[in-house]
Amino acid sequence: MEKNFSEQDSLKLISEMLENTKARFNENGFFYLLWGWLVLIASLLHFTLLYTDFQHPYIGWPVIMMGGGIVSGIAGYRKGKDAKVSTFIDRSMIFLWIGFVISLLILFAIVIIGHIKWHLLSILIIALYGLPTFVSGGILKFKPLIYGALACWVLAIISLFVQEEYVILLSAISVIFAYLIPGYMLKSKFNKNV
Amino acid sequence: MFKTLNPLLHSQLRLQIISLLIAVESAEFTYLLEKTGATRGNLSVQITKLKEAGYIEVSKSYKNNYPLTTCSITHKGIIAFEEYVKAIKQYINKK
Repeated sequence: MEKNFSEQDSLKLISEMLENTKARFNENGFFYLLWGWLVLIASLLHFTLLYTDFQHPYIGWPVIMMGGGIVSGIAGYRKGKDAKVSTFIDRSMIFLWIGFVISLLILFAIVIIGHIKWHLLSILIIALYGLPTFVSGGILKFKPLIYGALACWVLAIISLFVQEEYVILLSAISVIFAYLIPGYMLKSKFNKNV
Repeated sequence: MFKTLNPLLHSQLRLQIISLLIAVESAEFTYLLEKTGATRGNLSVQITKLKEAGYIEVSKSYKNNYPLTTCSITHKGIIAFEEYVKAIKQYINKK
């Protein structure tokens, strides 16, 4: 068999093998959907509690975000462990999102120390959401993420001109565009590929 | 003038291995086994040949208490693959 291995066979084989790695669309949208829903719930809860007598209307944020962090940590660890192959895309995405989380934690620390107000933090976070979403869209060549990122940046600018409590609603809208819509689209694309 | 085809790459299984590794950062032995459809023994032999030529790197570790072999392509391997593809194209164009 090896003796009859012609030049044409060889090119065909190379393209078949390359197709294998190319078709491996590994993004099922899990993290986008998880965080999309968590941030949406936390925002709406915060907004609703503002109209009650409850003293700590923001309470949903630390609780829900910590839960999401734990779930993400476990899911990310399992995904890494199960992966038989590692691509440059995988590594770019891991570094991008870890970098995003570190920046976010530093922002939280700045607010807790009291240097900036909560609603300003929300605006900064909406703008910051845009960055990893935009880059992910570019890496995965997936336009809904790019449009989602643009939506975040537009919403961040709009939020400069609205009342403080409505910034929370704008952050809810931003995750619908940046995480939930692209997340469901990634999920359906992934299911079609499998 | 025809460039001679690199005999190390002009072999079905070795070319399959290199073509799979060229697009990824690293791949486990079982992944290569699944994608090439080769037998364990044959795959091992060809991986060793590519490793000895310096085209790929092989690292051994453990995963869930089972030995794990991971392969990745080296710079030398990438260059050899590119030259092989160039040579193949030349052959086909001249035919």
